[in-house]
Amino acid sequence: MSQEIDAILLEDARLSLDELARSCRVSREWVIEHVQWGLLQNENLIGADPNVWIFDSRSFVRIKRIVAIERDFECNPELAGLVADLIEEVELLRTRLKASGPNES
Amino acid sequence: MEFKDYYKTLDISRDATADEIKKAFRRLARKYHPDVSKETDAEQKMKEINEANAVLSDPEKRAAYDQLERQGFQAGNDFQPPPGWDAGFEFTGQGFSDAQTADFSDFFSQLFKNQMGAGTRHARQMRGEDHHAKIMLDLEDSYHGTTRSLTLRMPKLNNQGHTILVEHTLNVRIPKGVHAGQVIRLAGQGGPGHAGESPGDLFLEVHFKPHQRYRIENKDIYAALPVTPWEAALGATVKIPVPDGLVDVRVPENSQTGRKLRLKGRGIPATTPGDLYLVLEVVLPSATTEKAREFYQTMAQELAFNPRQNLGV
Repeated sequence: MSQEIDAILLEDARLSLDELARSCRVSREWVIEHVQWGLLQNENLIGADPNVWIFDSRSFVRIKRIVAIERDFECNPELAGLVADLIEEVELLRTRLKASGPNES
Repeated sequence: MEFKDYYKTLDISRDATADEIKKAFRRLARKYHPDVSKETDAEQKMKEINEANAVLSDPEKRAAYDQLERQGFQAGNDFQPPPGWDAGFEFTGQGFSDAQTADFSDFFSQLFKNQMGAGTRHARQMRGEDHHAKIMLDLEDSYHGTTRSLTLRMPKLNNQGHTILVEHTLNVRIPKGVHAGQVIRLAGQGGPGHAGESPGDLFLEVHFKPHQRYRIENKDIYAALPVTPWEAALGATVKIPVPDGLVDVRVPENSQTGRKLRLKGRGIPATTPGDLYLVLEVVLPSATTEKAREFYQTMAQELAFNPRQNLGV
């Protein structure tokens, strides 16, 4: 079966709190708590009504990552957040390293 | 279909306790974490580890699996589950989500096909599950847009109401301007809905294949611009290929290696396009000919130049 469909970027899809929670298989409350603890790095959401929260690609990837780390290692949210920070940093540095040429990578 | 040795996958003995299984899983999950691991096959390994853990960490599935082994099946054997192999076992766990099992092997899906999707079939959640995957693009795709063919294993309900995995090809039109780390949402392309409810969505995380010349950082692109010493010193206009064609770039006089020239808006196209940065790299002609050596000697004599001056020597 084959069909052609248009890709919609999350930036244009306006992913809501409920959609995000369902997609990552966590509860609405889980996401709200993690946002309020600052673990999702969405400082702009803190204080706003969760019903109007919109999530972008970066938050989506980060939340998925934190969900997996908390689940696989049964660790506390702060540790999962710290690991996610480090993974993001490593990703950035690895891209730079790769681009600096074969001699240095 | 091959019989899989889940104990070997987790590197544990057959009498491992629940605690030992958990420890082994965590150790391997750390080693093969796809975001961090330096192992080349980390992603595949992680799937195998998750699958082994899904069976061995669940006492009922583990008991059913152990029974198969007692019947003489070994890793690598061609395997078909004997009829009624799981008779006498009650799988009371909440089952696996469709999205989880889509990553698992045929061996797993044959064994536990009655449990697959069980987690989604309770009354409250009838909408299909969302699925998550990755898509690899080339830098040029973000400048021009492209259509990519994706083959995914998707759970589908068969006539008996069991979930089976079928291959499913999607041709996805990628808009220009897409950049790394973005997520694409394909509505209705996830797991099937139950009882007439809508299917889930498919989310694709965008990754770019490493490019020989370009480094991508969000919407900005970085590339090296090799120049001659005289171009760097005297200034010049040089021609250089960039992802969307050829451009003439003005190199300012008195430039050094490392100087960044910004071509505004020539990065990844978007409503607010990224920038293209050309990083100057002064390349010296080799001193292998008599003539070249003479030039260098003349420079040495004529130019009072000490690049180590601020090192105090």
